[in-house]
Parts: sequence; structure tokens; C-alpha cells
Amino acid sequence: MIRIDAYNSTLDSTKTELEIMAPPTKQNEPSPVRQAVLQHLNIVGHLQPALHVAQHAPYPDGVDNAHVRAYLRSPHDVGGEPDVPIRWEEKQEEVWELNTYVTCEVLGWRGIWTSEERRRRQNVDVGQTQYLGLPYYGRWLMTAARIMVDKRYITLTELINKLDEVKKRYDQKKPSR
Amino acid sequence: MIKRNHHVEKATGKGDPWCFKGEAGPAKFKVGDRVRIKDLPDIFYTRTQTYVRGAEGVVAVVTHESPAPEDESWDNTDKSEWFYIVRFRQKDLWPDYPDLYANDSLQTELSERWLEKA
Repeated sequence: MIRIDAYNSTLDSTKTELEIMAPPTKQNEPSPVRQAVLQHLNIVGHLQPALHVAQHAPYPDGVDNAHVRAYLRSPHDVGGEPDVPIRWEEKQEEVWELNTYVTCEVLGWRGIWTSEERRRRQNVDVGQTQYLGLPYYGRWLMTAARIMVDKRYITLTELINKLDEVKKRYDQKKPSR
Repeated sequence: MIKRNHHVEKATGKGDPWCFKGEAGPAKFKVGDRVRIKDLPDIFYTRTQTYVRGAEGVVAVVTHESPAPEDESWDNTDKSEWFYIVRFRQKDLWPDYPDLYANDSLQTELSERWLEKA
């Protein structure tokens, strides 16, 4: 599980240094943005390649051919990997999932990509961590956004600004807790 | 920039992959042929599972012509090749597969470049 508590207690132990840099806020706790950032740092600390070795980013003579092959493998080629059973849920697609599917099909009809390019991007280019960590249609959605940027139909700046705008609109509508 | 609608224009009324019919020339293998899967270099993209590399199986179906996934995944669709459904004995793929299920089989679809005569 996510150990945000452990991270927060680390912060407490360095409280004095933090106070030197900036006065504490009234509630003496991180802002919602900082809390989200700290939670993120905590989670990514748990996302690591499955191969646990003492050294990351090794020198060229530190990796043999067998390991190069393992690193270059396509994340979707999971056959033969040990895993636990996945629980089957009888569940219909959600509206955003269907919308994502239609968006991706239209991108195909318009000639922006072939289905195989979509699969390459959503199953392989995302990398092993995202392949295993994101929901199925989440990968479709990220890939639809990515192809628009990669093939220069929109700029990343436009995408970031739009996401920011939608997020703010959503935050305003959200009922207060 | 990308030529708009070129996929849909090619496939309308035919469907994909049938719109590539006739582009690959004669098929190199036929149903019943014993084939071995090549171990080509892994880089960037393929649909050929690592666990079938070097294994021997039998052509179960000669399916269709299409650009290979390695090409189509970058929208290179000028060159098509034949695809085959190849049937393997599970025991030939997984060393620890129980003898009790010695007749279990697995089928997967591969493009011609991955096959050689066994």
C-alpha cells in the first residue's frame, strides 16, 4: 500500500530546515498541491523495474546481451511470465471508455494511424510500468492524445493548457467535502 | 502531413486485411507444413511471442495477406506478406508442461518472415 504517513513523518524530522526556507502555513501542513506532489513521489518510489539490481544506469560493460534483450522486450509479450490470477468482473464499458474507443477508430478512418500503430503505441511504447499499471482504456486514451502531439495536429502546450482548463472547471463543480 | 482517409479509401467495401489480397505473391507454406519460428532480433515492435521462437509447429491455416506488424505499426503498408496460424504442442513450448496433458496445443498467428521449414 501507499505509505504517505511514512513520508510525512520524514518531513516532520526536517521541520527546522523547512522553516528556514519558508514560513509554515497556518495549518502547518502541505497545500493540496504539495500533498499530491508528495504522494506522487512516494508512489513512484515503489514503481521500479522488476529486475532488482543494486545499480541503475550501468556502464556499457555492465550489461550482458541476455539482459539487453530482456530490457528491449515488448511489454505486451507477457507469455510465460509468472503472475497471479486476475479476478473476472462482469462489467460493461463506461461512457469514457466507449468515447475513447470511438475517438481512436475515427483517428484510424481519417488516416492518422493504422490499428497496428495504435497497438504498438498503447501496448509497447508506453513501457512496462504503464502497460501493467494503467487501465486498458486508459492506455487507449493516452495514446490517442500522444499521436495528436507526435504527428503535430496539436502542440503539447495546447494539450497541457486544455487539461489545466478542464481540471479547474471540474474542481469548481466538485461538491465540497 | 498525412494523406487523409487513405486507409478507409483502400478498405471500403473489402475490409482490412482483405484489402491487401493479391499483394503478397504465392504463399511459401501450406497447411500441414512443419515450420520452425525464427529468432529475429527484438527491437521496438513485434507480435511474435518470444516463447515460440525456435519452437517447431505445424501450419494450421493460411490466413490472409497483410503488411507485417513490424511495418504496419509505422504506417508502412506498401509491402504485404502471407500470414499463417501455426499450431504448437504445449509441451514443445513449456518444458514443465505436465505429461498428463501431452495433447494440449496452442495456436498463434505469424507472418511469413518468422517461419522457416523445419
